[in-house]
Amino acid sequence: MSLKHMILILCGFYCVMGIMPLFFGDTDYIMNILIMILIWAVVASCWDVIMGFAGIFSFGQVAFYVIGAYSSAILSVSLDIPPVFSIMMAGVITGLFGVLVGLPCLRLAGPYVALVTFAVHMTLVPFLRGPLGRAIGSGGSQGILTIPPIKLFGLAFSSEQLVPFFYLTFSLTIICTLVLVLVIKSYWGTAFLALKDSENFAASLGISAFKYKLMVFALTSFITGLFGALYAHYVGMLSTKMLSMDVFTILMIMMVIGGIGKYPGVVVGAVITVTLSQLLAPLGMYRPLIMGAIVVVLVLFLRDGIISPIIGLLSSRRKVGLVEKSLKVSSKGK
Amino acid sequence: MLKVKNLTKKFGELIAVNDLSFEVKKGQVYGIAGPNGAGKSTVYNLITGNYSYEGKIEFDGHDITGLPPYRIAKRGIARTFQVPEIFPSLNVQETIRVGSRFGARGGLDLKHSDEIMNFVGLEEDRLQHTGLLNLLGKKKLMIGAALATKPKILMLDEPMAGSNASEIADLMVLIRNINQQLGVTIIIIEHFMKVLTELTETLLIIESGSMICCDKPEIVTNDPRVIESYLGDSYAEDK
Repeated sequence: MSLKHMILILCGFYCVMGIMPLFFGDTDYIMNILIMILIWAVVASCWDVIMGFAGIFSFGQVAFYVIGAYSSAILSVSLDIPPVFSIMMAGVITGLFGVLVGLPCLRLAGPYVALVTFAVHMTLVPFLRGPLGRAIGSGGSQGILTIPPIKLFGLAFSSEQLVPFFYLTFSLTIICTLVLVLVIKSYWGTAFLALKDSENFAASLGISAFKYKLMVFALTSFITGLFGALYAHYVGMLSTKMLSMDVFTILMIMMVIGGIGKYPGVVVGAVITVTLSQLLAPLGMYRPLIMGAIVVVLVLFLRDGIISPIIGLLSSRRKVGLVEKSLKVSSKGK
Repeated sequence: MLKVKNLTKKFGELIAVNDLSFEVKKGQVYGIAGPNGAGKSTVYNLITGNYSYEGKIEFDGHDITGLPPYRIAKRGIARTFQVPEIFPSLNVQETIRVGSRFGARGGLDLKHSDEIMNFVGLEEDRLQHTGLLNLLGKKKLMIGAALATKPKILMLDEPMAGSNASEIADLMVLIRNINQQLGVTIIIIEHFMKVLTELTETLLIIESGSMICCDKPEIVTNDPRVIESYLGDSYAEDK
């Protein structure tokens, strides 16, 4: 996707999101949905960068999110570190963990990377619930219940004050989105695409698979950890339910709806998925059924996600504009 | 310029390359031929650092044994592949710039990249997505991207495979120009003996990973061992 289209879609998204609290600032239910859209948009974007652009079948995205959340919660609850710092530290811890997970993955092909990263996801539940987890302050199966809110310049940001928390998340989301766009459109992004398409050819042209694959693991896990930490201080409590298949599936649905490797399609995917998931919540067991049906329909009829028709529309409008312009020029000439 | 000494590669029980030694001089077009499965492409994979091996490889007076592929590319050894490798996510211009950005000393050189694109004859397809190129276009693109790394040696792996007569003639002109106009030393693996006899100054024939013969093409093609193991009696009779 061209940078122009990318910026157009992202500006549209952030402009609309930015004014939402003006209309719904008093409605907690909608404000909660908006905050979750912002958080998931970034987490899903990171997954899209590692899977869609770098072609690494990492299934550890939810695990990184949970590691970030627990790290910040433990640091702030057990060590009394102010949440502003614990969130940053959680990002760094998750980034380092991402590199550790990435190292063995460098020697593995696609499906095996998926297995290794998903194994990390699966081992987190027994770890956090077990004696080791309790020893570091995970709270075992009960979880952590008293995570302090973020305090910045004398202001408290938590689920009690949704509008301030929304704008804090909004600011952080814009910064991280800018970083991701810069990475995708820089030579890093080109290296990711080249390695995804043909690792042998890329290496023969001087691209180090080791360097760039580790970079993408470090960057995406750092940002994911950061937003996991932000979420922890938003909700104020954590449990291993975050590692349920439900969360994993929701994140995957965002990718499928938005289009894998079609950034920023995944941002649109996050808006639709989070909204649908909340609206369908009263349907109980029918919710996953309906979400699953949507995925099946999309995979069958819109394999590149819903972003492709939007880009097609933008491109065709531009072409029509160019044709009209050239017709005007030629008629003036006559 | 390139010295390969006692190169040996084993895949389990199979000896793919067996104590092979040869030297490529600066400015040469050096040919490698042999029956299918002789170990020709494996030799390329060893020189470009794709596999570990026994033996020693020196390039430009430096030992490059054990270096990873991307570092060998930065040293000035570029290669193409038997089955064209492309980046379907990138267009022609972007693919050639990948070579310049990551493989060339000094980083991205836009002027040189554009010159290379013209040199290989892809200037009209610059914004074309690589997946839409025909076979000849894909081969030229691989060569262009490799040249964008500003290599000292270009290793071509069966560049004529699957090409018709006019495409072969086109590629032969391109290879000759790369060698003569750009001053790039060339190693070429090929099955078309006509191509090898016309282009190369030295021809190495290998079978089962071992050298059978290495000399001028006119001498090699008359060597009884080469006729028996690779060319066949019909080739000698046709001559």
